[in-house]
Amino acid sequence: MLNLIKRFVGNFKEYVLFVVLSVISLSILSANEKPQAKHLKTFAIASFAVLNQLANSFTLIFQPNPSVEELKAENARLMLELNKLRRYGLENEELRSMISFKDTSKFPLVPAKVISKLVAKTEGNFIINVGANEQIQKGMPVITSQGLVGIASEVSGNFTLVKTLTNSMLSIAVTIQRINVQGILNYDGTNLIIKNVPTTYDVQIGDRVETSDFSSLFPPSVPVGVIQKKESNVYGLLHNLVIKPFADIAAVNNVFVIKIVPSKEINNLEMNLMK
Amino acid sequence: MLNNYLKPVLYFIPLAVIQLVLVPLISIDNVAPNFILILVVYYTLRNGQIFGMLLGFGLGFIFDLISGGLLGAFMFSFTVSAFVTGFFYNENKFDTNLASYFFLVILFVSSFVCLFIFGSISNSSTNIGFLFLIVEEGILPAIYTTLFGIPLVVFSSKKGLQ
Repeated sequence: MLNLIKRFVGNFKEYVLFVVLSVISLSILSANEKPQAKHLKTFAIASFAVLNQLANSFTLIFQPNPSVEELKAENARLMLELNKLRRYGLENEELRSMISFKDTSKFPLVPAKVISKLVAKTEGNFIINVGANEQIQKGMPVITSQGLVGIASEVSGNFTLVKTLTNSMLSIAVTIQRINVQGILNYDGTNLIIKNVPTTYDVQIGDRVETSDFSSLFPPSVPVGVIQKKESNVYGLLHNLVIKPFADIAAVNNVFVIKIVPSKEINNLEMNLMK
Repeated sequence: MLNNYLKPVLYFIPLAVIQLVLVPLISIDNVAPNFILILVVYYTLRNGQIFGMLLGFGLGFIFDLISGGLLGAFMFSFTVSAFVTGFFYNENKFDTNLASYFFLVILFVSSFVCLFIFGSISNSSTNIGFLFLIVEEGILPAIYTTLFGIPLVVFSSKKGLQ
């Protein structure tokens, strides 16, 4: 029996090896969410990102003058403030004061540079040059002066892996600002889409979309994009809304990390409601 | 045997940096060439199917780690790609396989297989259709990758493989 197995393996060693390697890689694929795999990935990113950062310094000649960065940071702050003010204009102020909604007007921003990107149709992510040493934590939103870019998904000492909006594994709870309709935004490989919005809602092309109060990943009122197209489904009862992001994710080089972790905010809000 | 692996691993380091830092600058609508794949295909045609599969498996694992992508995705797709490329391996046909334009055909087929599998594994959206995966995840990046195989063919044919 043993000889038979040996002969089989000897005759078909390429196929046996292929099956073994495939099984190992598929097992690793299914173990992505395990803490050990995440630690290993974080360690590898931190080690190799040093080389990427060096190489990236050669590409600086294509990037804007660093003196512009401060203005961009200020612009990003103002953009967040402006968006919140727009929202306040549409919301019921009285109700907000009744539930003692916590003031979140201060958005501490940490500027960062994108040092490497993985170019893939549905797995958008990049590495930025700030990390735990700058108090960056997993779950912090990443923005540009135009709007939301993504979320910090893994953090090492000096580097952070950012999952962008163009990652099909990222789903975000969003609100259509004007009519306050909630939806789930995700990427289908070509467009950002909010699926299954009832046609009875007065959704219009050009309506602004922002992160929702119900999002457990992002703080509320971070601008995401505008509605570009409405696609009715077969029965005409529901819409799929195509969103054009404010931030040009493919071309982004300089970003800001908002130093707030949404889950803490939710905790605070829950405490406020219990008061 | 170990020395055979050392050379491609040394080439892998600068190619990985190029792949992560410079390739985004030349990508067109998220369609980009894959330089690591060219390396895997080249060394599979030089050293055979088993060598290629082990190399693809190892380099895929390292690239998954350093790129921050889905762990196992490139590992699996490079392994399959090397397995497919291995069928073109022939000790007596180095010239035809590596220093002629037939290399580009092999590279295109392997790239298509690799990138199609990578695209299928790494997306979790149910909206993505099969045609999208074939064209946008498979054919287009495979063509782009194949374009970057041309200098390798020219260089190999001028230098001579030995």
